[in-house]
Amino acid sequence: MATTTPPLSSSTSSSSSLATHLPRFSLFPNPTTLLSLYSSKPPFFSLSSSRSLQTHLSCTKKDDIDITFFDEVNPDEDITFSPPEKPEDFIPPRAIDEPPFESDEEIAQAYEELYGPAYSGETYLGKDIYVMDSKVKKTTGFGSKGKKEKIRDGFDENVVQVRRVTKVVKGGKHMRFRAVVVVGDKKGQVGVGVGKAKEVISAVQKAATDARRNIITVPMTKYLTFPHRNEADYGAARVMLRPAAPGTGVIAGGAVRTVLEMAGVENALGKQLGSNNALNNARATVLAVQTMKQFSEVARERGIPMEELWK
Amino acid sequence: MTRRYWNINLEEMMEAGVHFGHGTRKWNPRMSPYISAKCKGIHILNLTRTARFLSEACDLVFDASSRGKQFLIVGTKNKAADSVARAAIRARCHYVNKKWLGGMLTNWSTTETRLHKFRDLRMEQKAGRLTRLPKRDAAVLKRQLSHLQTYLGGIKYMTGLPDIVIIVDQQEEYTALRECITLGIPTICLIDTNCDPDLADISIPANDDAIASIRLILTKLVFAICEGRSSYIRNP
Repeated sequence: MATTTPPLSSSTSSSSSLATHLPRFSLFPNPTTLLSLYSSKPPFFSLSSSRSLQTHLSCTKKDDIDITFFDEVNPDEDITFSPPEKPEDFIPPRAIDEPPFESDEEIAQAYEELYGPAYSGETYLGKDIYVMDSKVKKTTGFGSKGKKEKIRDGFDENVVQVRRVTKVVKGGKHMRFRAVVVVGDKKGQVGVGVGKAKEVISAVQKAATDARRNIITVPMTKYLTFPHRNEADYGAARVMLRPAAPGTGVIAGGAVRTVLEMAGVENALGKQLGSNNALNNARATVLAVQTMKQFSEVARERGIPMEELWK
Repeated sequence: MTRRYWNINLEEMMEAGVHFGHGTRKWNPRMSPYISAKCKGIHILNLTRTARFLSEACDLVFDASSRGKQFLIVGTKNKAADSVARAAIRARCHYVNKKWLGGMLTNWSTTETRLHKFRDLRMEQKAGRLTRLPKRDAAVLKRQLSHLQTYLGGIKYMTGLPDIVIIVDQQEEYTALRECITLGIPTICLIDTNCDPDLADISIPANDDAIASIRLILTKLVFAICEGRSSYIRNP
């Protein structure tokens, strides 16, 4: 699994017509080379979403982003509009406001041919109207089993902290539970999430869903430890992480220990230097781990062989 | 991605008033590459760039629809609502022309629940069960049905998240744009001089106030979608 890189530093030229973007989902399987013809930005990069576990709500970014097509771009030259030639039999399309208008039936029929009956409640082609019921999983009601099984996607959940929080309203105190959960497989993927609900279990579930949405990869060496020392802060929590020799185990307190254990790191030292707020410390360790670099990455960026780094 | 001829001529755009921007005081300085002049307190957009971006957007949309992707057109301004609906129906796309409910895409599971309810209410209305209920209940259900019809009428054929979203006015539909960005859905947006061109994936600098200019751009995009779809039907 690729390590996430920090976002692209903003564009090769400040006066370019469109600034570079963080890569997004692509429509096409291959990156388009067309846009190198224009002096404008290419908006789509192909993303290798190698984890089928991740929901469609999270984006994975390719680790080496190809920006070689910017080499030909000259931002100061004027953009010209040179459309291809008009074909001889080109008929200008009808404007959308002009008659003849289609009847409702024809429209419904056309839509149904394309998308199926979906949620319209009527069919002209004789298809099943309740087709969407089977596709959408029923989460509430008597159809489902009640609560879903806890073990899914191969991720382990570990509850760091559950607190009862109060909101004072006119009628009294409105109690809710806030759960901080760390989710990870022990192979280098972790995520931290928070969830609040009126019951502990639903709060934990919400937190687990949230954690699955922001998962990061931990750069680990062969001996299941970090490549180098790192510090990071989030809020008032400041965390220092240090690699250790094999056989040391994870020596850290509270939230930091849970995050490192869930990541699968075997040998590390960690210290909470600032506040000891569990959620902020968990987030700070995640940040610290995100900004770590592997030796191979650094060597590649600097263009020197790895042996130089150890001198 | 092949470039095709989309019948974009600058005279037509000038007639529709695509080149007018908003007042000088309300501009977003990030739009300076696309603004060509300032006239009587209004910024004038550079039409060559507009034409370029429009043709690029049309190419993209043509390519996507020839692969069978789903589109969503969002436009909630009162002026534009009608043309958005017509354009989407012509292109057989989903559309939102009344208020964009927050979380329509990011909270898709809840939107699906509402769509289920919409479909069930329609079924009941067609089966005639509404008339058998007492008058007050029937009125309540009818009102719910009409609400759902106005807000969700355009997306009732949508089975999942769309693949491309076309937004008519960026300032108005800022929530919709934000949702697409968090979900990673590519967007095509009509940008005026007070909008930020870096948010959308393809931003077409154009006038979003005049109905004629919105109509023109939507016509071109819809034409591209139709062409792509016919080529998809011919060879899937």
